Amino acid sequence: MVAIIDYGMGNIASVQKALTFLNIQSTVTSDFKEIEKSKSIILPGVGSFLQGMKNLRAKNLDQFLTEQVLQKRKKFLGICLGMQLLADRGKEPHANPGLGWIKGSVIKIENIPFRIPHMGWNSIDVKIDSYYKEIPRRDFYFIHSFHFVPEDKHVIAATTNYGINIVASIQQDNIFATQFHPEKSQEAGLSVLKTFFRNA
Amino acid sequence: MLKVRIIPILTFNGFGLVKTKNFSNPRMVGNPVQAARVYNSRGVDELVFLDIFATEQKRKINFKLVGEVIKECYMPVAIGGGIGTIDDINSLLKIGADKVVIKTKALTDIAFIKEAVAFFGSQCITIAVDVKKEGNVYKIYNKLGLDLTLDDFTKKMEDCEVGEFVLTSVDNDGLMNGFDIELVDCFMSATKIPVIAAGGGGEMIHYKNLFTKTKVEAVGSASIFHFTQFTPMDIKNELLKHNIPVRV
Repeated sequence: MVAIIDYGMGNIASVQKALTFLNIQSTVTSDFKEIEKSKSIILPGVGSFLQGMKNLRAKNLDQFLTEQVLQKRKKFLGICLGMQLLADRGKEPHANPGLGWIKGSVIKIENIPFRIPHMGWNSIDVKIDSYYKEIPRRDFYFIHSFHFVPEDKHVIAATTNYGINIVASIQQDNIFATQFHPEKSQEAGLSVLKTFFRNA
Repeated sequence: MLKVRIIPILTFNGFGLVKTKNFSNPRMVGNPVQAARVYNSRGVDELVFLDIFATEQKRKINFKLVGEVIKECYMPVAIGGGIGTIDDINSLLKIGADKVVIKTKALTDIAFIKEAVAFFGSQCITIAVDVKKEGNVYKIYNKLGLDLTLDDFTKKMEDCEVGEFVLTSVDNDGLMNGFDIELVDCFMSATKIPVIAAGGGGEMIHYKNLFTKTKVEAVGSASIFHFTQFTPMDIKNELLKHNIPVRV
């Protein structure tokens, strides 16, 4: 069972729909008991970093998820804002702390000769291929104005180029996260989800 | 490298798909859920789904029907029609919309647009910009009797930090005789955010012209998919011939 964390930050139906399509059992929840029972966890989300952290804290999910993922080492997938919140700190709309599971910060995409938000299908360059082995194509759907800059470059699982190299995906132990939306990236996205949740 | 997006725009009247000409004479063109299923199987880049009568008929969008449409889609979906409250946006996001498209409310309530951006993030808020040329000036087409130039409205929306514009030429809508290249070109210089250009696509050369003569990175089309044999993939194959990056 996969627990999809419901913390009022949108886009949750699509994540569950993708898992259902792949015959992966999931539940949308913020209930500690249900999360405790599940083998793995997805933190989805769109919206601002500050609002995301506020909503997690309001339900004490920040501490509980930290325990589930860092101590109990449950398999964890963060998507979009759910990846950004893993950083020490964010700057949307102003400086504030994140979950701090991955050292680094989330900053605005700036000084590029392209339009912002970074919106649409962009190809990724895979650095760690654990969950990218079976992707039929390298284009994934991105929609964001902020990006994650990790301190340790070894956690970068994939990058995408948009004038600068943007971190498209992160992997550290039991934690995997994507800036793009696998649930919106058709076959390529479904392949990543399928590979990640194999045996989950 | 970011690919250009080819986006079917499905307009509906609350229950069935319709297609207009110059924003008038809606003609029934089919079932929204079936259409979504077909576009999903064809791997389109994105889908825009608009209830073009909700505001005029003073009703909310049909959330049940929209939910059924989104269920068919494993690609991003933008939904619009009659959006006037934060709750409306929340309800659409909950059933799987990625973006919402706002028009009338943006013309009358800038504070609401700011609030929506603060709440959901720029990336979630798309503004429909329907343009009609009056004399030599591009004006915002609306049924409220508001006299707004394209320039003024665009600046106001950029100040709200919205995430995207759907730019539609009312003069070219449904005629399938080509895009208003001049309009798209001048709009692209006026804004720094992503734009979906719509209104006028009917033949392959129209798409080639749009992407080679302007800086636009996404196109929205309806008539060509309803009334001809061309598919989004045909457009991509055409663009590939001209070295325009597409997702195939």
